[in-house]
This record gives sequence, C-alpha cells and structure tokens, in this order.
Amino acid sequence: MRFRPRPGDPANAGPRGAPVSTPVRDAPPATPFTASPAAPFTASPAEAGTGPWDGAGAVVGRDVPAATLSAHDRSTRAGGAAWWEPPGMSQTPVLDLRGIDKSFGPVRVLQQVDFTAYAGEVTALVGDNGAGKTTLVKCVGGIHPIDGGEYLFDGRPVRPTSPREAAALGVEVVHQDLALADNLDIVQNMFLGRERRRGLVLDETAMEELARRTLAELSVRTIGSVRRKVSELSGGQRQTVAIARAVLWDSRVVVLDEPSAALGVAQTQQVLEIVRRLADQGLAVILISHNMNDVFAVSDRIAALYLGRTVAQVRAADVTHAQVVELITAGRCESLGIRG
Amino acid sequence: MKAGPSQEDIRRHNLGTLLRYVHVRGPASRATLAESLGLNRSTIMALTADLTAAGLVREELPRSPGRRAGRPSLVVRPESTRVYVLAFDVGVDRLAVARVGLGGVVLDRRESPHEGRGPVEPAELVGTLAGLARSLVRKAGRDAVCVGAALAFPGIVRRGDDVIRFGPNLRVGDVTLGDMLSRRLALGVPVAVANDANMGAIAEHERGAGVGCDDMVYLHGDVGVGGGIIVGGRLLGGQDGYGGEVGHMGVNPGGRPCSCGARGCLESEVGERTLLTLAGRADLTGMTSREAVRAIVDAADRGDVVARDALHQVGTWLGRGVANLVNIFNPGLVVFGGTLRDVYLGSAAQVRSVLATEGMAAPRERVRLRTAQLGDDTTLLGAAEFAFADVLEDPLHVLARLRDPEEEPVNS
Repeated sequence: MRFRPRPGDPANAGPRGAPVSTPVRDAPPATPFTASPAAPFTASPAEAGTGPWDGAGAVVGRDVPAATLSAHDRSTRAGGAAWWEPPGMSQTPVLDLRGIDKSFGPVRVLQQVDFTAYAGEVTALVGDNGAGKTTLVKCVGGIHPIDGGEYLFDGRPVRPTSPREAAALGVEVVHQDLALADNLDIVQNMFLGRERRRGLVLDETAMEELARRTLAELSVRTIGSVRRKVSELSGGQRQTVAIARAVLWDSRVVVLDEPSAALGVAQTQQVLEIVRRLADQGLAVILISHNMNDVFAVSDRIAALYLGRTVAQVRAADVTHAQVVELITAGRCESLGIRG
Repeated sequence: MKAGPSQEDIRRHNLGTLLRYVHVRGPASRATLAESLGLNRSTIMALTADLTAAGLVREELPRSPGRRAGRPSLVVRPESTRVYVLAFDVGVDRLAVARVGLGGVVLDRRESPHEGRGPVEPAELVGTLAGLARSLVRKAGRDAVCVGAALAFPGIVRRGDDVIRFGPNLRVGDVTLGDMLSRRLALGVPVAVANDANMGAIAEHERGAGVGCDDMVYLHGDVGVGGGIIVGGRLLGGQDGYGGEVGHMGVNPGGRPCSCGARGCLESEVGERTLLTLAGRADLTGMTSREAVRAIVDAADRGDVVARDALHQVGTWLGRGVANLVNIFNPGLVVFGGTLRDVYLGSAAQVRSVLATEGMAAPRERVRLRTAQLGDDTTLLGAAEFAFADVLEDPLHVLARLRDPEEEPVNS
C-alpha cells in the first residue's frame, strides 16, 4: 500500500499500512486483523540487547572514596544492576579490570587502573602519549603479565599470561602495526599459527570458506580474492584483514589499537563503521584513538587514563568534547566533578 | 462497518504476510514459516501453493542438509529474477534507475549524471528516466513481470495524488511526474512518487541499520537535508504526507536564508552549500555534492584549519537538530545517510557534544547514532520497497491483473 488511500483502508494507514504482519489464524473467521500480539517482524531478542546503554555507568572516578559514592555508583563499581536498567541488558561486564598495577623494573606504568568493557558496546580508551594505554591493552591481551589487581572475565577471575591464553578466553588484539605477514595471503594470515587441519594436511578449503564468510560479515566487498598476498593490499584493506582475523575465533573482546592512524579519510570511515558493526553484533570492542571525532563517532563509553591511572569512565552520551580533552590533558574535569 | 474479515480477506492477508516474510527476511523453510507466522502447516502449504502457481515464490529442497532428523522441510524462496519492480531515484546530481527483484535484490541498474540545480523541464526528466528504465526492462527475461514502480524525489509530495508541491532544488513545480512516467513506460503499473528521505527511512528500517528498531529518525543529506521519521514501525506522514521535513526545522533564528524562504533552517545551516562556503571552497560546486563534502572532510583530516572550522560549525548545528529530534521523538536510533554520513563521521565530536548538552537526559540516554548501512542506495532501495507495497498487499490480484490486463483495465 502506498500513500494513496484506498476504499476500505483505515484512514491513517501508514505507507506500509496494515500488513504489520500479524497473520490471521485460519480457524475463526471472525478474528479481527490485529488480534494476536505476536508480530513476526519485530526485533529479535539478540538485536534488542545490543544497545549502547547499560543503565548504569555514570562517572566513576577511581579516586573518589567509596564512602562518598552514591548507591548508583556503588552498584556500578560492583558490577551490580541498577534498578532502572531495562530488562534483558547484560550488566556483568565481559572484561573487568580492578586495581591493575604494572611496572617495568623501577618504572611504574600502571597504578591501580580500573577498566570495564561491556558486550555490545564500544569502549574508547583515551589518554595522552605515555598515559599507559598500550601497556594496558597488552596486559588485557596477555602479552604483559599484570603485577597486581584483579582481571575478571565474565565475572570470573583469570590471569592470562600469554596471547594464546587470552585468545582462549576470547580476547583478541589488533596491534597498531597490524602484525600481518606480507609474504602470505589473506587466508594464511588469518589462520597463522592456528591452522585448521584435516588429518595430516591443512584444511585449505574450510579455512578459505571461513575467511570469506568472516570478511563478508564485516560487509567488506572491496577486498577481492582471499588468496591475494597481503603485500598487495592497501592500508585500509590490511586493517580490515587484521580485524577479520581478530573476530574469526568466536571472540568476545576485540581490542583495536589506533586502527585509523595511517589511513585516509574514506578508509577511516569504513573502519569506523566496521568497529561499530562489531559491537552491534554483540562483541565488546575496545578502541584506542587519539582522534576525538573517531572516539565520539562510534563509542558508547570513554575511559580516560592520565599518567598511568584511570581518571574516569564515562558514558559518551553524557560528556562533551571539551570535557574529554580536559580529562586527557589535565587528569581532571571540574564540570564532571572529577578532581585529579 | 463490516462485521469481520471474510474468508477471502483472510486468505489475501495471509498470502501477503507470507510473501512479505520471504521478501524481507529471505528464503525460509515451511517449518520456519509455520512457526513464525503462527499458522498451521497445511495452511502454509496451501498458501505457498497459491504463490507458487502465481510465480511469486518457488519451493526447493534445502541446499545444506539440516540437523533435524526426518524429511527436510521445503524452502520457500522469492522468485527474485521473475518478479521485479522499477525503482527511480531523482538526485540533484544523478538519476538512478534499478530493477529490483522480489526479496530486495538489485538485479540491474542504470545511472546518468543529472544537472538538477537549475530549472528542470519535467518532460525531459521523464524522458531520461523512461529511457533508462526501458533499457532495464529489455534486459529482463521474457517471463519476468514488473509488479510496481516508485520514484524517490527530493521534494514535498502530496500523499493523495502524488503531486510534487515543492522541489527546493529541482524546480519542477506542481506536476504529476508519476502519471507522466507511468504513461511513458506503458508497463501497466502506476508509478508512485514520494519524498526521497522518507523512502530512505523505510529502506534503512527494513533492510539497513534500523532493522528491529521501530522508532527511528533517518536524516538524508544531498544538496538539501531531508528526513524520515518512523514511529511505532510506521513512517510519520502527517495529514497530507508532507511530514518529516526535518531539513526545514529552524535551528538558528535569523540564520542563513534557506531555499524555502525562511532563515536558519537545518538545511541552510548544514547543507552542502553552507559547508562549501564556510570552508572557502565555493569553487568546488562543479563536483557532485558527495565529492565536494568528501573533499572537505579530507582536507580537515589533513589539517586544513578552515575546513576543520567549517565542519565544526556544521557539526554543531547538526547536533542541535539531532537534539531537537531526540527530545521530541525519543527515537532509539538516528541514522545519517547520503552526504550526512560523511559530515557526521567528520564532526561526530561536535554532534554528540551538542546532543549531550542540549538533549534532555532521559530521551537521549538510549539513542544510538549510526550511519546508513545501505550506503548510497538507501533512497533507491526505499523506492523499491515502496513499489513492492501493492503486490505484498494483495499478491494474487496484482499478478492476475498484470498477466491478463484485459480482464480488468488498469485505469479503473
């Protein structure tokens, strides 16, 4: 039905009109057209649960003494549910780091860092150069063992001590340098070190199929054959392959370290859209970026580090550009009530 | 008032619902259909038999063996190559025509550059569109049937008779493009005309970023700024179908003059011309609006401070517009399409900062801001969805009428 009213139509039928897709059961002919509340075309529950909102998570500076926190803040800190949260929203963060310490010899790099990441959300990790962002993600990815503090995955305490152990949990890191082997093709890169085998030989067909499907799920059509060598790919395409490699393994958490650093505008936009889509598909995405536009374009939460400490974890919808810049450069923000 | 739907009404409704299911969701097994539509298996079988006989769907064995034991349930697929619509998109820079198969597959398309900034002669426009469409129809198979056509137009269109009341950037005047085009095509189908951004909203809601979100706002940037608002799963049309003209929402009292005659409309503050002027790139107007906007975002990314400042200002006004929309409609999703995709990604910090300060806390807390998933094809695919509306409403009648036009004249 289009805008034209037809005889018998309800006066205000929209352009898509009556077929709100509640079929009329065939048994009683007198059933009115909109009898059943079940509407086949509404959201699937999975989609409904991937919103950026988690109901809690207001500003929590870790230096605020626990006694001054409101009930709301306490429930957030404990990972508990606030009473106004919408039903079906997962409140347990996939990744919850509490009081992380890390030193390299006498150099203290991270002091009592708190960091949480939720499924279905992009959490941006921002901070000045040397604030400890990369060290923190290396701790998350199991490259650096942590010296102290709690590493909770799905609420369970864990201690990954190698990238392989982190990957077994479902944590994948896309490094700044992408860590791709130029002399290998896309499929070989995506399965490097974790090749599929069938008996004694590699299962090339299955790997190729899986690689192709993963790239298709990221809505990447520009890449061409999955048997192209990585050395032939552009910067944006390499970034896409590195992201595809990270999401191939039923990952739960994907960390992207400066994904758009060396890219042009068009590729950056494409990568941002991929980042957003990953979170919308239910992954917890951690994005490190210096570009405030990129941070605001896709993130649901912003965690700011200042000199190896967490200054604030805020919802991106509640803050302004100027406030985030103040958190990064000064380690405090009067208007948010966060004192350094 | 009728006592209730007759058997015939129910059958028609169920046929339409089943066809809409496979059209929107893709191929589905009979078992899935029975479960999702809440009809019993024998009814599903009877309905698919009717649709198969009409050539709208076909049934085949599943391609991969199922996990369940027993005889596999037949999969019902839309006849994408045999049943199609023509979708027309009149942009300011380009004309696009696509042949879109049942199920929303773009089977074939033609584009032609278009100089729509000056006065446009309706007859000439219709001639070009009809020419593109005819070359598409010739390529279709002999057994393929065109079941509808729709045209997305960047202007204000009256719902009752599809008259274009106002085309700010295409000076067409009070004409019925749809009727003219329908006569030229001579395919026996009427050509519906509607606002392009409204159609974009429908496309994003059915197949793009808005799947599963029944309250959303779609913002479309071309040279002007248009919008479509979906409330409770339906497009907000207003009394005469002019609703959703968010481009002419006043955001800056006494601001820049707008093509509509007012000052400080969203369109005049964030439109392509303003962005170009602010960036000191008015000379870029020879490019398509897409290219010009991209050039400015690119320059800003490389550190051009004038371009950055331009994006900053435009982003601030865009944020104010979004804040107003969020306060009024409390959407779950705001989608930026057309050139606004680039503008949003290039000025997201401003847009969201203004939203955070000017949007009320309660309505903004769950709103998601996203870019259009269908890319540059949102309006075109929306037109296709619009064109399919008739056949999804009453599949067998429309098909019978088209296959045997003698039985019932189209003009009735």
